[in-house]
Amino acid sequence: MAAALNNAVVQRVTRIPPAYFVFAILMIILWIARPHMLNANILGIFIRQVAPLGVLVLGQLLVMRVKSIDLSGGGVILLVNYFISSGLFPGASVAFFVALALATGTLIGLFNGVMVAKRRVSAVIVTLAVSIILVGFVQFLSSGKPPGDVPSVFNDIYNTKLGPVPTPVIFWVFLTAIMALFLSKTVFGRYVTSVGENAEAAHFAGVPVERTVILAHMIAGFIAAIAALVQTASIAVGSVRVGLDLPILAVAATILGGVVFGRGEGGVWGPFFGVLSFALLFVVMTTFGIDEPGKLIAQGLIILLAAIFYGVRTARSN
Amino acid sequence: MSRSIRRLMTGSQSRQGMWMLPLVLAVIICVFLAVRTEQFANPENLLNLVAQAMPLVITAIGQMFVVVVGGLDLSVGSLISFTTAILALDGPGYVLIPAVFILAALVGATNGFVVTRLNVHPIIATLAMQYIILGITRILRPVSGGTVPDVVIWAVSETFLGVPMPVYWGLFVILVAWKLLHGSRFGLHLFAIGGGIASGVQDAARNFGVADKRTVVLAYVCSSCFAALAGVFLAGRIVSGDPNVGLLFELDAITAVAIGGTQLSGGIGSLQGTVIGAAVLALLSNGMNLTNVSPFIQTAIKGSLLLLVVGLQSRKKMGL
Repeated sequence: MAAALNNAVVQRVTRIPPAYFVFAILMIILWIARPHMLNANILGIFIRQVAPLGVLVLGQLLVMRVKSIDLSGGGVILLVNYFISSGLFPGASVAFFVALALATGTLIGLFNGVMVAKRRVSAVIVTLAVSIILVGFVQFLSSGKPPGDVPSVFNDIYNTKLGPVPTPVIFWVFLTAIMALFLSKTVFGRYVTSVGENAEAAHFAGVPVERTVILAHMIAGFIAAIAALVQTASIAVGSVRVGLDLPILAVAATILGGVVFGRGEGGVWGPFFGVLSFALLFVVMTTFGIDEPGKLIAQGLIILLAAIFYGVRTARSN
Repeated sequence: MSRSIRRLMTGSQSRQGMWMLPLVLAVIICVFLAVRTEQFANPENLLNLVAQAMPLVITAIGQMFVVVVGGLDLSVGSLISFTTAILALDGPGYVLIPAVFILAALVGATNGFVVTRLNVHPIIATLAMQYIILGITRILRPVSGGTVPDVVIWAVSETFLGVPMPVYWGLFVILVAWKLLHGSRFGLHLFAIGGGIASGVQDAARNFGVADKRTVVLAYVCSSCFAALAGVFLAGRIVSGDPNVGLLFELDAITAVAIGGTQLSGGIGSLQGTVIGAAVLALLSNGMNLTNVSPFIQTAIKGSLLLLVVGLQSRKKMGL
């Protein structure tokens, strides 16, 4: 057993994020069980559904690279949805809503970042509390009822296609590519890597650790706001429940994609395939008639198994 | 004189943390409510308050075992719902009640095993467990319903020697927890492990011969079993199984623990602090209900409180 674990090939294989394996296995299952599902149109629709999640994951992986976490995405999505659908700003243009959403998201991210980096509060507690406060606030403002309609422009944009591919999917791939470039080519990207590897060493090497963490959280908030816009456009109505399970799914997809706290082996495309795996998983589970409770269990098991996968490996390398 | 008062209030240099300050806070809230509302001070509301606060007190005490060793257990909320669902399975009480505790101990042992042996961060491990248990609960009981064994209902709603049962529950839980935390070697080891982690030396207790991994696993088992006890109590109160009754309970428990002066980084805390913290939270809820505050705003206020008390604690580590 020990010899097998030290084998070069095995070590090489365990370096590949689990997301790729899960994705491949699910593809094979779908190909055997429901071959007719594997056409571009149907898959396009399913992948379009997870575009908000995919966008949210880009922020999640950034904060998880600096050993933090952001669970406030649910609150941000709800708040942005409320801004757009409540009629609080009658006759406002799309540009105004986008600017408002992005500003809100960035501000919330700034707050998270300052609390985590300066006050050194546990990131889980801060972002969870922020999410609860925002959810409570929005539900109070709308008295627990869906607030209203979303201007139709949003849904019209969401439903467009570029050739056979839905626009939201292209948008998501585009953002992912930008994030990949951002992390590999900029100084900030290197700071993120070094803070994640060892914050103390990074500090002594002259990396502004606190500023990097704050900035990571701000960018995560900004991206959460983009995800909120995509999500709002996709459901096209106001809601007081939308997107509440997205942050935890984002954590799951990120871990599955090979980005665990402080380690970024999966890069940006690992989590990307993590999200695709979840999209496929939901397709497979739906076709086999497994409903919501089964999905919750699968979600939990995936987080647990992926975390164990990395936990055991870190323990061995130490 | 003033220096010793300040030391008592802020709990600096104290192993027990600042538990006097929340006590003062609790008294202030009591006085305020007694003056502002007529219903608060009457015996019925006070007894009702004890019964209302009991699940939170029990869960918070359990949560404290894990917090003292520098962990967090986010699975307790789901476990409470799970317990009520099991109890409503329509079986005899002498089977269901032991089953609930055995299952809870198994969940706790799994949490502890994954955290200590498989090297997974406690928050991630228990978060995953929360979803798994929630899923199982929803399969067992998609919507609330069923009836729980008569024993459970009796144990919660009856009076014994003229005193309502919830009071005995409170006394029993506090006695057991006091014995475990402050009156046994296990408790001492918990504080030793947590103190080491809080000061940045992961192996401190281990180097002095404490079986740290086993002790941490037992801490998670304690947390789960106390949560199951809270679930039994709640099942007796609502007389049925409910998959959503424990929703966000873990956050209330963490808030109560943090209000009571227990440091989330580990090593510092006290039982009396946790009980007082839970009492403060319960008094706030009761007060907000009496003064007709919207339930949504209550959620927001509780979230802000969590943010505030945890924000006031300082620690060295950054991130999770």
